Amino acid sequence: MHIAEGFLPPAHAVAWGVASAPFVVHGVRSLTREVREHPESTLLLGASGAFTFVLSALKLPSVTGSCSHPTGTGLGAILFRPPIMAVLGTITLLFQALLLAHGGLTTLGANVFSMAIVGPWAGYAIYKLLRRYDVPLMVAVFFGAFLADLSTYCVTSVQLALAFPDPSSGFLGALGKFGSIFAVTQIPLAVSEGLLTVLVMRLLVQSSKGELTRLGVLLAKKRSGTGTETEAVAR
Amino acid sequence: MLPIDAAAHSSRWRRRHPVDKAVLGLGLTVLAISLPPWPGAALVLLTSLVVLLGPAGVPGRRLWRAYRVPLGFCVTGAATLLVQVGGPEGFVSLAEDGPLRAGELLLRTSAASLGVLLFAFTTPMSDLLPRLVKAGVPAPVVDVALVTYRMSFLLLDSMRRIREAQAARLGHTDRAAEWRSLAGLGATAFVRAFDRATRLQAGLAGRGYDGTLRVLVPEARVSVPFTAASCALLATLAALTLVLERALP
Repeated sequence: MHIAEGFLPPAHAVAWGVASAPFVVHGVRSLTREVREHPESTLLLGASGAFTFVLSALKLPSVTGSCSHPTGTGLGAILFRPPIMAVLGTITLLFQALLLAHGGLTTLGANVFSMAIVGPWAGYAIYKLLRRYDVPLMVAVFFGAFLADLSTYCVTSVQLALAFPDPSSGFLGALGKFGSIFAVTQIPLAVSEGLLTVLVMRLLVQSSKGELTRLGVLLAKKRSGTGTETEAVAR
Repeated sequence: MLPIDAAAHSSRWRRRHPVDKAVLGLGLTVLAISLPPWPGAALVLLTSLVVLLGPAGVPGRRLWRAYRVPLGFCVTGAATLLVQVGGPEGFVSLAEDGPLRAGELLLRTSAASLGVLLFAFTTPMSDLLPRLVKAGVPAPVVDVALVTYRMSFLLLDSMRRIREAQAARLGHTDRAAEWRSLAGLGATAFVRAFDRATRLQAGLAGRGYDGTLRVLVPEARVSVPFTAASCALLATLAALTLVLERALP
């Protein structure tokens, strides 16, 4: 769910754009440095962007019986890290605005802030924290994806409540209204996205150890013998 | 190819420079959110519709299919403005000026969405992205966006075929099977994306890849008459809004 074109007043649209800018600029610098040092990364990063775009187009069955789309921010942040996700998320949101009419250009800053910045950072932070305390990889992945999804929609509710305060109870009343519509209904979807991300990660660990090692999700571990094996580590 | 992009490739304004269409389409969007919703956004909405269905030649059915997506969000969001929380009339009650605020929001959002759709329905992404370098976007970011754009269609096509194959193998018969199929779909998307990137890299390396993706951009010049007419239209809309705002109740 993205905030639609023209939904935010001009001042709010500009303010969220300004708030997102430092994170996106930081991500752009990281990406530019990576591409200059390793030109072949352009193709891998492009593939990552396409994966993020396609992931957000999957239909997710909800616990409540309806269906929605995963944000993909949790999995993206775990695989590609939050600074890169800020750029890939911005590109994906731009494509969604122009190719699918999801979101918008005037609300791009607000959508980037919730989906490409807060979601990935929140998901990545809990993932990293849990891995530091040796929580199993799949449990950490579940909570990373769950929190990334839920925080995205909580921030969206805050953004809408700031733009449209309740005439009687102000910001808090509006937060309750938008939260009850968007964030609370999102809890079962966040659980669904967490479960889906775990299933995806399980398959990836089985089939794509090389790519996961290259991305740093799994680390190649030298054994005393001749072979090497991979193990999941917290970065 | 996605429907909006496919329509943009066959648009009457396909050969126009993106700046021409950005001035008009994005100008209408900026006016829609800056002017008072009544009568400003209403005028912008009407003008956008006329331009889209008239000179731009966008088929009405295609436009409606794209337009109903943002409308769904707008209606859901605007519905919350109809009620208020707390106050003397109870925990939840109808807001006094709720219908007015909701109506204004719907007008503004509908008009702004049409402005962007005018740009999207007439400007293919492949025309827009390479020109972003001239607008100051770093070349590596544009290159990544170009690869993302081109690979997205291949991946979406792969996903559709895999989904059909899963359905043929009873992969969607119950909830458990659906979850397994969905996870397989997500994982396969990742594997295919990286596999394509690796093969693309090998192919480009054999052709002397130096880190920059050179693509042919269709030649187009910014049309001064078109841009001037667009600016005049936008100025007229703004002036008309200010006049009508005083005249109308």
